[in-house]
Amino acid sequence: MSINFTESDERRALRAAVADLGSRYGHEYFVSKARAGEKTDELWAEAGKLGYLGVAVPEEYGGGGGGIGDLAAVCEELARAGSPMLLMVVSPAICATVIARFGTDAQKQRWLPGFAEGTTKMAFAITEPDAGSNSHRLATRVRRDGDEWVLSGGKYYISGVDEVQAVLVVAFSETGPALMIVPTDVAGLTYRPIEMDIVSPEKQFTMFFDDVRLPSDALVGSEDAGLAQLFAGLNPERIMAASFATGMARRALDKAAEYARTRSVWGAPIGSHQGLAHPLAQCAIQVELARVMTQKAAALYDAGQDKAAGESANMAKYAAGEAVATAVDLAIQVHGGNGLATEYGLGSLLSASRISRIAPVSREMILNYVAQHTLNLPRSY
Amino acid sequence: MNIVVLVKQVPDTWSERKLTDADHTLDRESADAVLDEINERAVEEALLLKEAHGGEVTVIAMGPGRATDAIRKALSMGADKAVHVSDDALHGSDVIATAKVLAKAIGTVEGFDLVIAGNEATDGRAGAIPAILAEILGLPQVTQLRKVTVEGTTVKGERETEEGVAHLEASLPAIVSVTEKINEPRYPSFKGIMAAKKKPVTTLTVADLGVDAGEVGLGGAWSGVIEASPKPPRSAGQRIDDEGVGGSKIAEYLVGQKLI
Repeated sequence: MSINFTESDERRALRAAVADLGSRYGHEYFVSKARAGEKTDELWAEAGKLGYLGVAVPEEYGGGGGGIGDLAAVCEELARAGSPMLLMVVSPAICATVIARFGTDAQKQRWLPGFAEGTTKMAFAITEPDAGSNSHRLATRVRRDGDEWVLSGGKYYISGVDEVQAVLVVAFSETGPALMIVPTDVAGLTYRPIEMDIVSPEKQFTMFFDDVRLPSDALVGSEDAGLAQLFAGLNPERIMAASFATGMARRALDKAAEYARTRSVWGAPIGSHQGLAHPLAQCAIQVELARVMTQKAAALYDAGQDKAAGESANMAKYAAGEAVATAVDLAIQVHGGNGLATEYGLGSLLSASRISRIAPVSREMILNYVAQHTLNLPRSY
Repeated sequence: MNIVVLVKQVPDTWSERKLTDADHTLDRESADAVLDEINERAVEEALLLKEAHGGEVTVIAMGPGRATDAIRKALSMGADKAVHVSDDALHGSDVIATAKVLAKAIGTVEGFDLVIAGNEATDGRAGAIPAILAEILGLPQVTQLRKVTVEGTTVKGERETEEGVAHLEASLPAIVSVTEKINEPRYPSFKGIMAAKKKPVTTLTVADLGVDAGEVGLGGAWSGVIEASPKPPRSAGQRIDDEGVGGSKIAEYLVGQKLI
């Protein structure tokens, strides 16, 4: 990989175009939709029509033919504009990538054109109550029965089940983790929302599979190569989650800096005090470092270096999660009481900014990963 | 139908815009440069006409090297090709010199039917280019339009003023200028962005266009900026304590300003 710290003209033009679109909708749109229990369908549809959601889908299926780096740029700019779209982390990043890389021709024909235009949304289900995201301990099982598959078990903290056509479910078969496409209207599937204290149009769900019967082509890829395929989807997920976080962090930091420049108390802007200036500067460094790591992870992934991308994507997700939690916390502190006033749009980011430390993989699990794989330390669990 | 759209790269209206101390021309380094928003609308209108009638959309810009960014934006929206007139000799050109150069550049586009411009750029704000161009090229001008349609060889437009709406028409080829009410410009799609880099951009100098370098630039300008100073900060304003007559005091003030 050659080292290049400037993005291409096209990538920068994409960022500018997405930022324009995102700022026309803005944070008020996002918050009003979330509070009304509605979805940000208009933004999703418009971004989809412009090809922003399908940037990474291969051109032959109507996509942009770009990479995860392009998709991550879209995700980051929408988050920065105040309308982060959680399902981008899942639908085009995990599901479309896995199907594009490992799906049969028929599966690609069936699903990719919809991902390219954003008209298809697919959720992703791995997490279970008794396994967390430990894919080796999943209790959800899938078995063959004649020409069909039978799926049983359950999942929780699955994003957006109420607004997707299908869910890509990770289940254990006799040979290991398998990826199954499960339509949301299939018999035997039930799902229920989990009440969350997050201002977000996307909801979280528990899912139950009561001997759900699926056709033989529900399996994506091969039954026994599941783990490698799984991580082909999970690395983009981490890169996208990091971009979601850095976008939100940049928004919070922009607002904090703007306020620190313009809010005057005792005759001087509050930003002239190092008590605020230094933490803001530290935060800016932290955010930019997280962005660079995220871009590195995306570049490695797009260069086909899955293993190296895995380490970078984990590090990027960790760094971005810390950066956004710090940035939003600091932005609120800089704003004083205004930081929690609805008008300033920061309180609504607070719990969302904490997600990035927890999902899609917790800070602690990333530290375990780095300790074990980067530093070759004994496994602690 | 072959359409030419005139576009200009301008300093972003959100950034601080300054003139240089040296020659009082635009300080291009001090501000982010963007495709002028009115030009995005002009491009949009050209694309809508192309979608309705077929043909080709050519973008013409005069400006320094980095104006290619503005040209790429227009191409990414869907314009087919571009002509970029770029020459150090053009630095400091006034509207007359600019119009002369643009007229020559338009002449390089074979068989054009319609030239679309914004009504005025957000930086210079002279708003004179479309009219001067019409004079030089000997074409009818239909300016300040909020609506444009083409029927056969006739362009029709609506011009809204404080007095009312004028319905105008001219035969093609013609020059029109549009206002901010004309349309909402599209966002460039990802495919448009990726396609833009492959679209042809012809770069021309003043000499290529057969224009005498002495007629353009600061030296050839008919007017010059002698001095420039920033707008003074807003003064404190007038304060009235409301002792039951606040409403009528406000009304008096507004009447005094001829606002009501």
